[in-house]
Order: sequence, then structure tokens, then C-alpha cells
Amino acid sequence: MSHRTITRRDFLKVASAAPLAGALAPVLARPAAPESKVRVVLVRHEAALDPSGAPQAEVIQAMLDDAVRALIGDKDIVKAWKTLIRPDDTVGIKTNVWGKLSTTAEVEQAIKRRVMDAGVPEDRLSVDDRGVLRNPVFQKATALINARPARTHQWSGMGSCIKNYIMFTPQPSAWHGDTCADLAGIWNLPEVKGKTRLNVLVMLSPLFHMIGTQQYNKDFTWAYKGLIVSRDPVAADATGLRILEARRREHFQDDGLLKPTPHHIQLADTRHHLGVSDPARIELVKLGWSEGLLI
Amino acid sequence: MKKVVVLAAALAWIGGSVLMSQPTAPGPRLLASYIPVSAGPWLSEADQVFDAGTIFDYIDGAGEVYRSYNMRHLVARRFHKDGRPDIVVDAFDMGSAADAFGVFTHDLDGADAAIGQGSTYKAGLLSFWKDRYFLSVYAEEETAETKRQLLELGRTIAAAIPGAGEKPGLLKLLPEEGLEAGRVRFFHNHSVLNYHYFVAAADILRLAQTADAVLADYRESGGRSRLLVVSYADPPAAAKAGASFAGAYMPDARQGAGMSTGNRKWTAFRVRGRFVAVVFDAASEEGARARLDAVERLIDGDERGE
Repeated sequence: MSHRTITRRDFLKVASAAPLAGALAPVLARPAAPESKVRVVLVRHEAALDPSGAPQAEVIQAMLDDAVRALIGDKDIVKAWKTLIRPDDTVGIKTNVWGKLSTTAEVEQAIKRRVMDAGVPEDRLSVDDRGVLRNPVFQKATALINARPARTHQWSGMGSCIKNYIMFTPQPSAWHGDTCADLAGIWNLPEVKGKTRLNVLVMLSPLFHMIGTQQYNKDFTWAYKGLIVSRDPVAADATGLRILEARRREHFQDDGLLKPTPHHIQLADTRHHLGVSDPARIELVKLGWSEGLLI
Repeated sequence: MKKVVVLAAALAWIGGSVLMSQPTAPGPRLLASYIPVSAGPWLSEADQVFDAGTIFDYIDGAGEVYRSYNMRHLVARRFHKDGRPDIVVDAFDMGSAADAFGVFTHDLDGADAAIGQGSTYKAGLLSFWKDRYFLSVYAEEETAETKRQLLELGRTIAAAIPGAGEKPGLLKLLPEEGLEAGRVRFFHNHSVLNYHYFVAAADILRLAQTADAVLADYRESGGRSRLLVVSYADPPAAAKAGASFAGAYMPDARQGAGMSTGNRKWTAFRVRGRFVAVVFDAASEEGARARLDAVERLIDGDERGE
């Protein structure tokens, strides 16, 4: 081992500053926070889901538009998207089809519509998850949009934007070591490196706890009715993680920490330099419905 | 899907003992035979069979938990009834009773359902182990009816599994005084150790999926301490692991002595033969040392065959 490992004792030494084992990794590994911040937009709408929990397409479109406007800083939504996507791009929208909690067709369609508004014809645009390596559009993609729901995960701690690219690897299990510590390494593969223009972490009805082999129980989801949007997947995930932990604290009346620790999010920052995980370096823009915000 | 359900209904009506889409390999076939084809008004669909190489097709990366316990096969059988939540039985052949017990201890939350050789029920999920098998019986939504059905299904499966298995022998090295019997975990690698109690990012105890380890909670004045006992292949392996742990975790302490770990609690470890024992979060140095003494006596007694 080339460097000293982080142990429980390290956490205990700084426990009064930050009691989270996972969240401590950047504190331990990095000196003072740099000056620049990355922007993350959290947008929520009370009507994003109907009473049965079904996403409402028009509301979702409006939420995504508001988030992208705020992220880019342009009131014209098409102009804003044109700063993300060029008309000559070939665009893969990496979704997530997990049956119990998917990205949702409404989010996929909202993204697709704006990519086309930016000038990309439909034949140079594809939405896919498990078939990305065989999909001709993804094989030629010059730009990727990454969209998936936030949920707890029995091995990686949290399934979110960083983890969503595991289907770009021919053998996903090769990235499972140390409970998926180095997932961010996937983002250096030629299929994806430097191509991601936008990350959408779907927080419509996040899963904040899991039990059993099936990993899902509706009782452990809640209607948060939000989207987290950022160019930085690590900042998006770190923000989503704070919300999941806050919900867990509220529900379980404990420290709210995920098990296993989703340390791949911090390591994506401190080890792989994919993005920013430290909340102090994230400019969080909050839009819309504020009830039960949790952050 | 409807055709499958109709076929299942017909088979259930014919005799209830014939399986549709029966697994062909002997191990999964035997395991499948323990699961009934119907559960009250719910009728089963085609079985799915997975092994350690294919389990990711079923439960993605979460399959690593079961692989870490050396799973052999999984037979997944879904039960459907129109208008009711589906019920899913995930039946694992873990290859040994020790690993069936171990994977059961991965999640001990819930109420004892008195099924098999150990069970928990919570929020629409019944988990239990018996012999070398681990069972997860899950309802997609918990209702009074699904809860009743899950428990009945679990009792039926447990009754169909003949015999019983032995818990890991390593549990005999846990001193009884203060032990919280419902909070004992058995495992083989540091990721699972860290899931239950974070020790270090790296595998400083050299568990490496080859060691057997037990982590137990103990009641302490003012809190809870943990005792970790690891069994290695031979004494040199244990000595290396002890040295690795000492170097990474408490380089400034000598073996057997306690060390205050910054939270006003004490950690101490000891190497004995092919075993390493570590006490975490003891209320006092003396308490940590006394627990290690007790483990040592149990090791010595075990080796004398007592």
C-alpha cells in the first residue's frame, strides 16, 4: 500500500467536526477548500407527481427547464441548451431502467425534447441503459446526458449519477471492489471521457432505505418531487446524498448515515478528481416548492 | 405471463407438488422443491435460477453480499394474484450452514418470526436460514394479508427443508457475559466488516475473503463495545494480520495493552494461535483486557476439546 489507510481512529480524532465516516474522506484528504464553486440546481414542484405517484410530464418539463436556465444563466431555454449541446453532436441519454425506480419516461422525454430543440435530429439521439455498449448512437456519441434516480444501494451505498455509467463497462462487477470505491474511474473510459454535458439526478420519489434481496420497499420512498441538475456528477450526487441522509435522520431518528458508506462519491473527488463533493465548494441553487426541503 | 399463471394454477390443482419451469441442475432443483407452487390464492410464475456468476443479472451489484458468503445458487420464484401485491421467494443455497447463518446476520433488524433456525420479519420482508439455505420472502407491499401469507409461506418452506445446520464454530469463542445474542455477525471480508462497524478503508486485518470472522456487540456501562474474533488458516497468517492491524490502527500500542481511541473508549487486540481478537469501544482498558482474557481462555479450551 503506497499510502496510509484511513481508519476509525482518524474519524474519531475529528469526530466533533464531522461525524460522518464517508463525509470525512475529503476533510482528511484535502487541505483548505479552493475558491471556485460548482453550481448545482435543486428544483422541486408540488405537482410533479399526481396523488398516485405518477410523474406529470408538463410539470417535469417545466422543472427541467427552470433548472437548466438557472444552471446556465440564460432565460432562453433553447439558448441555454445550445451551450450544452451543438447541433452536430450525436447524443446519448444514459437513463436507468431499474424496474422498481426508473429515471421515468417523463424525464427522458423532457431531456430528449430539449436536445432536439438544440438542433440534434432524432436519428442522432438515443435513450438507453443496459444496451449502451451495443447502441450505434452511443458508440458514436459526442455528447452524453446522464439521468437516473437517487436510491440507496446494498453494495455501493448509493446509486446515483456516478454509478449510472457502470453499464459502459463490459464487466460491471469489476468495479465492485471496496464497495464500489473507484466507480469514478469509469468516467475515464473512452466511451464516456469528457462527453457528459449534463447530469440529472431524479429525486421525484427517492429510495432512502432498502431491505432484502429486492432492495425496494415503497414505504422507504417519499414524494420529494425534485430534480438535481448539474454539469458536475459528483456535486449532484453529494447533494442528493445529503438529502437522503436528512430523510433517514428524520425517519429513523439516528445519524442517518448510509450503510455501506457511499464513499465512492467522496473518492470521485479526492482520488479521481471527477468533480466536487465538499458542500462548501458547491453553490446550491434552490428553486420551487420548499416544503420538506431537507437541505 | 397470464399463460404461466394459468399453467401454475393447473399444476397446483393437479397435485401441488409439480414444479413448472423446474430447474434442471440437481442443486437448484432440490432447492426449488422446497418452495410450494402456490401460496394461498397466489400462484407461482416460472422460476429463475442464478449462480455466483449470474446473480448480477437479478440484483445488480447487491449480489456481492451473497457472493461474499460463497453462494452456490439462487432460485427466485414470484407469486402473483391479480389485484394483490406480488410475493417473491429468493431461496439461496449457500453451500454451508455457516454461510447461510452468516448471510442471515447481514441484516438482523426486525422481529423474530420463529421460523427456521433464525428469522426476522419487518416491513413485508421475512428472512430466515435453515441448514445451508437462506430465504428471503418478500411482498411488494405489506398488508395484513401479505404478512400472514409470507409467514405461512416461510413456515412451509422451513418445514420442507430437512435437517438443520450448525452455526459457525467461531461463535463458541464469544464470552457470554454481556453478549447481545441478537447482534452477532459472521462474515469473511472487510467490506462486510465495515458495513457493520467501520474499522479502516483498507483490509488491515487481512480477511481477504479467506478468513472467518465474527463481530459481536456487548453491553457496557454507558454504551456498547464490540468484539471481533477472526480465524485464519494458520498461526503465521494470524500473526501477520495482527501485525498489520497494529501497524495501521494502533502503532503506538503494544499487543494486549489497551489504547484510548479519541472517543474516551478503549481498543485492544491480541493474537493467539490462528486467531486474532480485537475489542473496540470498551469503557475501560481493564474491561478490554478482561474480555480478551476471556476469549483466550475459550480458545485454549476449544483447542483442548473442552
